[in-house]
Amino acid sequence: MVQERRILYEHLDVPDINTFDVFRQYDGYKRFEKAIKEYQPDDICDMVMKSGLKGRGGAGFSTGLKWSFVPRDIEPRYLCCNADESEPGTFSNRYVLERNPHLLIEGILICCYAMGISTAYVYIRGEFTLGKRMLDAAIEEAYQQGYLGKDILGSGFDLDIYSHPGAGAYICGEETGLIESLEGKRGQPRVKPPFPAVEGLFHKPTVVQNVETLCNLPFLMGNGVEWYTDIGRTYGDTRFDPPQSDPNTGTKLYCISGDVNKPGVYELDLGLTAEELIEVAGGVRGERVKAVIPGGSSAPILTHYELECRLDFTSLTLWKSMLGSGGIIVMNETRNIVDCLLNIMKFYAHESCGQCTPCRWGTPWVRDIVQRIADGEGRQTTMQRPKFGVAEGGRWGDTGEMEEVYEDLDLLESVANNIANVDTMTWNTICVFGIAVSWPAVSYLRKFRPEFEAAIREGKLVTLSVEEATVPPEENYAYQQRIVPSLFEAPT
Amino acid sequence: MSNELIQIETPFQFSEENQQEFERLIQRYPVKEAAMLPTLHLAQKQAGYISPAVMEHVAELLELPVMKVKDVVTFYPMFFEEPVGKYVIRVCYTLPCALRDCKLVLEHIKQKFDIDVASETDLAKGTTPDEKFTLLKSECLASCDVAPVVMVNDDLYKNLTPEKMDEILDGLE
Amino acid sequence: MAFIKLNDLEVEVEDGTNIIEAARQHGIEVPHYCYHPGLTRPANCRMCLVEPHVFFPPAGKVVPDRQLATGCTTTVRTAPPDRKLDGKYDFIVRTDSPRVKKAREDILEFLLVHHPLDCPVCDQAGECDLQDFSYNHGSGKSRYLEVKNVPPKKDLGPDVLLYSTRCIVCTRCIRFCDEVAGTGELGLIHRGSHDEIDIPRDHDENPLRLLDNKLAGNVVDICPVGALISKDFLFKSRPWFMKQVNSVCPGCSVGCNITVDYKEDGLYRIQPRFHEDINQHWMCDDGRLGYHYVNSEDRLQIPMKRVDGELVPTSWADALNLVVEKFSETDPDSIAIIGSAQATNEENYLLGKLAHEILKTESIGLFGREPDEEHKFPQFTIDADKNPNTRGARDMLKLGDDASLTEEVFRDGIANAKAVYLVNGAPERPLDETAKQALEAVDFLVVQDIFESDVAQLADVVLPGVTFAEKEGTFTNAKGWVQRIHRAVDPPGEARTDWEIIQQLANRLGGEMNYHFAGEIALDIAENVPDYQDATHQKIGDGGVKLNGGNN
Repeated sequence: MVQERRILYEHLDVPDINTFDVFRQYDGYKRFEKAIKEYQPDDICDMVMKSGLKGRGGAGFSTGLKWSFVPRDIEPRYLCCNADESEPGTFSNRYVLERNPHLLIEGILICCYAMGISTAYVYIRGEFTLGKRMLDAAIEEAYQQGYLGKDILGSGFDLDIYSHPGAGAYICGEETGLIESLEGKRGQPRVKPPFPAVEGLFHKPTVVQNVETLCNLPFLMGNGVEWYTDIGRTYGDTRFDPPQSDPNTGTKLYCISGDVNKPGVYELDLGLTAEELIEVAGGVRGERVKAVIPGGSSAPILTHYELECRLDFTSLTLWKSMLGSGGIIVMNETRNIVDCLLNIMKFYAHESCGQCTPCRWGTPWVRDIVQRIADGEGRQTTMQRPKFGVAEGGRWGDTGEMEEVYEDLDLLESVANNIANVDTMTWNTICVFGIAVSWPAVSYLRKFRPEFEAAIREGKLVTLSVEEATVPPEENYAYQQRIVPSLFEAPT
Repeated sequence: MSNELIQIETPFQFSEENQQEFERLIQRYPVKEAAMLPTLHLAQKQAGYISPAVMEHVAELLELPVMKVKDVVTFYPMFFEEPVGKYVIRVCYTLPCALRDCKLVLEHIKQKFDIDVASETDLAKGTTPDEKFTLLKSECLASCDVAPVVMVNDDLYKNLTPEKMDEILDGLE
Repeated sequence: MAFIKLNDLEVEVEDGTNIIEAARQHGIEVPHYCYHPGLTRPANCRMCLVEPHVFFPPAGKVVPDRQLATGCTTTVRTAPPDRKLDGKYDFIVRTDSPRVKKAREDILEFLLVHHPLDCPVCDQAGECDLQDFSYNHGSGKSRYLEVKNVPPKKDLGPDVLLYSTRCIVCTRCIRFCDEVAGTGELGLIHRGSHDEIDIPRDHDENPLRLLDNKLAGNVVDICPVGALISKDFLFKSRPWFMKQVNSVCPGCSVGCNITVDYKEDGLYRIQPRFHEDINQHWMCDDGRLGYHYVNSEDRLQIPMKRVDGELVPTSWADALNLVVEKFSETDPDSIAIIGSAQATNEENYLLGKLAHEILKTESIGLFGREPDEEHKFPQFTIDADKNPNTRGARDMLKLGDDASLTEEVFRDGIANAKAVYLVNGAPERPLDETAKQALEAVDFLVVQDIFESDVAQLADVVLPGVTFAEKEGTFTNAKGWVQRIHRAVDPPGEARTDWEIIQQLANRLGGEMNYHFAGEIALDIAENVPDYQDATHQKIGDGGVKLNGGNN
């Protein structure tokens, strides 16, 4: 069984690790001291770039690359630490904030030193009342001990960290939604470009970084780039591995919940398979795994035969899903996929900020169609039409077989794809909330179509067995495209 | 709906302590408007909910038109525009908690107090007549490993069953 | 200038122009809702999606970009030589590709999801971007079967209603109140599909503020659908039944460019017309809603003369003869001509000729509405001077900048006059006691006016003139723009255009004016009045002409 490698979480259970004195005993703030005494800011940026550290909040964007976009000649610059953990299935930031807040502060110190930032805000979700209390106490201690404020450790480097509470909006986890909320307004994401690195908080260059990403920095600083790049997946042992030019380095705090025996946060090298992770989490609760959401509710779903997929940024993208926040949700054979989709669509309909047309009125429409299907009012016609799948010549096309026409399933897929398109990977919305709504909807529908059809035919939710509910690999668009990338190309 | 402007009968003012806290807050930002969310949290703690009087006061403190306060208050579910019970119960209902039977906990609370689930525009229907409890559904509370979870005011309760819920609620004054 | 490929056209466009404007400049429509050239760009309607083409290194050629971009936020910029597309273009974009067309259909389908089938009862029909773009770019059907949202109809303020069911939440109205008016009364409430525009209210829907700033009516103009509606215009007419002329608002000396909608029975609506330098896209509510006086039943329709202390109706011949008789027998030193800051340049010019050349008097004054407050908004100003042609009248009558429009004219200008010819024409112009006494002391007072005003009531002869909507002519605004007003409706009863009355009087007093239309007078003005050489009707056109020299 894959073993945990607890780096960020190593001392999470040490009593009083949330206090400065105890934190200090475990190398606390020593990595920052090393940074500030032995390195220039540019050196640190270089290290971060070379380490291959990817943003852990959901986008998986190269942290070093993001930092390189920030113009160094505009003052002031800001850091916004994204502690608005709201992606369903994710709960790893909470433990850091509640139990080891000084680790986050140290990460922020290193980032701000490297970027020449003297004001950092930690946007912490309003419901994290305990987390904010612990963080505030730790910030207070850091000031008292001289690690925050002016001329830290006599280096000439100033930093103020302020915690800023949210108030219950998921969309404030989107980087520009966060910035708008921090500026005191409705958390409505901004049009990009310009990107926050260039024009962000108060229209100044801003780095927005997740709690977990920042918590990697002390260890990168303390142990060096080579140590860091050794962690994470080595490649080459299966046909599904991503090319070496896009390394997925470091550990990930994998959150796993739902139908597993030991839900929790497991810190593991990036790149273990979904199957391996479920094993680490005590195996499936129930008899079999029916479906797995690999990266928070915004991620397209994986079927029971896709669990050999590696849970890292690149592999999952090649499987037409995403690692996102790393919140894995497991569903067993007793679960109805239509019902699960309904739950998630209700979530998104509630959390849509309402700014742009497709999301504002498209998201509840998708929810309503799924609701109707779940209520037994899904529509089916008596027509048949050609069935598409892996066809002659190894291309996706007309298989020569016929299939039933379920109007509401066509409608569901069409409306969802009009918000954001799974196949072209584009979105008509201002932000990627559109993707978060439509990619799950389309993936659940395509991969578990039998359960949707059954609900329509039977006039009520019908939970099928794992095999019956899942489309076979030959009809699974994502599976086929993974092994045959040319499947969706036009014939030459 | 008339076009008569309402008069605020009892204006709202921060307590001395809260006014000092507000003064500290605005030092943190280059623009007063940015203090909106923490100021509203502070005001709601003092007043119990965000009334028009509260909105006028916050607007005045932040030097903004009052609509800019109202549009923020209605955007964020944690701000209430109506009085709520002494204890606000938030039952998480998103997928991981749903997979762990949060529905049983919710239904149990509904039955226990004979109330409905409050909605954002109608808090009264989810509030007990003695105004002790208000029941809300919540979106994911980021505690999926200990699902199902419920927040009661600032406290999070984990691994709940209807029985455990009873224990907690019965123990509240 | 950037050289771009816009569909199949190769055109030059100024750097910084967005795609919607670039397309508009070349006759191509990019449908849009939330974008407005006078406001910031939230890019939230998603209707203006277009397809930029970019260089794709792996393919080694220019291909359509993977993602469509909003035309409102995509601006054209000259590219450095090594980044030109196909060797010569700074930018390539298509607004007519299948992807763009499909995106428009999809967005329209989303926009119509909650939209009620209100066209038969909605004021906006015929002027509605939702109708027009659905017709031009939509799929013609909706697949929505679920329950539609029904947010309530709202009364936002003195003139504005909000039919929330029709609102597409483009937020133009909110941005207008924030950016142009600076008053911030409007905002969004709730979130997601429950988003509604509103003024701030308490929990029982009672308003904390009203949309009552003086620029409020502009939100009705910019609302692309029939959500924001003017109470003044509600249900009055279908737009296709009205005729329209361009004109200039007579409410103050800003001289906002306007359009006047009318039918035979009167004026129906005033809306602003774009002018980059004067009023941009806006006008104030005083002007917008202040046209009803033109339609009033109390308009003067026939001349009147005083008989036994009472004003009685009479004929034009009689009235004019009476005036001629009295003025002929009065010494020129005792005659005064009072021009009007409400009347056109042409009219004041003729008055000046009448005074100098025919009556040989030097006593010339100027009458007009009294100044009120100036209102300054972040992007708009309403002048304190409530006359449309103070500057023009002063220029025509050769009066200094300090020539008063007020009661002083009666004390100083006509202190010793025995015969006075005064042109008014203001919608409202009350007099105080001193002014009334001064006018009563005049032996023979001729007033040309549109109502039986305080001034007209003191007259010995009243001549019925017309409003700005019933004649051709020009006004000069405070900043020196000379602009044309156009005739919309006919004068009521036997009222005559003011310059015609003055010409008739002048000729009966010995003059030889022979103007057939106002434009001819303008040609004379161009020849004889300093700085007005370019102020002919032809050169003024729709955009106006700025006077050279003088204070701007």
